[in-house]
Amino acid sequence: MKTQYTEVQLDALRELANIGSGNSATALSQMVGRPIDVSAPTAFALPIGEAAEAIGSPETPVTAVLVPVCGDLDAVVLLLFQPDAAATLCRLLGVEPGTELGVSALGEIGNVLGTNYISALGTMTGLAIEPRPPQTVADMLGAVLSSAVIGVDETRDIALLLDSELATDGEECALSFLLIPSEGGVAELLDRLGVGA
Amino acid sequence: MSGTEVMVRMGELATSADPGDVLVSIGLGSCIGLAMLDRKAAVAGLAHVVLPAAPSPDVATPGKFADLAVPALLEGVCALGAARHRIEAAIVGGAQMFSFGKGALDIGARNEAATRAALEAAGVRLRAAATGGGTGRTVRVHVGEGLVTVKEAGGRDEPLLGARPLAMEVRR
Repeated sequence: MKTQYTEVQLDALRELANIGSGNSATALSQMVGRPIDVSAPTAFALPIGEAAEAIGSPETPVTAVLVPVCGDLDAVVLLLFQPDAAATLCRLLGVEPGTELGVSALGEIGNVLGTNYISALGTMTGLAIEPRPPQTVADMLGAVLSSAVIGVDETRDIALLLDSELATDGEECALSFLLIPSEGGVAELLDRLGVGA
Repeated sequence: MSGTEVMVRMGELATSADPGDVLVSIGLGSCIGLAMLDRKAAVAGLAHVVLPAAPSPDVATPGKFADLAVPALLEGVCALGAARHRIEAAIVGGAQMFSFGKGALDIGARNEAATRAALEAAGVRLRAAATGGGTGRTVRVHVGEGLVTVKEAGGRDEPLLGARPLAMEVRR
């Protein structure tokens, strides 16, 4: 089983994530009516036990929106809003944070971001992929992330996470944007990017 | 209720006879925190089970798979002086955080079923469970006090096993 990716491969995946999240940032910027910054993505290839902790303390409360990918790629897009980011975004959209409406608004933001991300991935790689309906949960980071990683691919020992962070100008609004492909999904992406094994 | 926290991450397994130790698995979603205690001997163990069954019997991480975690944890606590007939088990986790629409049954439920079956096969009494549903949980095993606590997202540590007279408690 393949457990290591080369620097060239990780660079290609980071570039893919960069364009995907850039596309999403534009969509979010239009929704909330202000500029959104995107960080350079980080690629983590880690044993699954450590993957959950790469993003933050596992007990951190987060609102998570999971957008499964269907079609030629086995993957999920996972958006993680920390409490301050969730509150800021709700305020920008004019809804009360922590309410059912607030959670629903974050789900919709996640849906728009995830859909744009997946669409950019499809365009870049030529893969026929579409988003499936999003699922929103508010829970501990560790529970959310581990369940997403295992749900995508039960058999692997190494998880690959591509993490981009979005932030609004001058506001506490960092949100994590993760692409979590299955092991076969990573191979498919690398092939399409011309840096396959 | 304070002590040295020993983190038991996905696929890991830990045992202790140090009364100050607290074995912890944080943020269990579909995973299972499997605790075994001999309260009289003040010996305890915790496994962070990820999947129901191992692909082969000689994997490097028995704690990861329900079918291997039960015998491995049992052996571990007995090696520290636990008496087999006094060992009690508690299980925490096995939630369905997301629905992936793949298998007929979600991983959390499969993990729980496999863990229960392995405990029964090993003849270990399951005394308490906080499993299923759609909420993440954290489990803490206080070795010296023989206490197992569970915390749900946004909640507080609640006693699951050891703080009250023994009774089978099952929360679903």
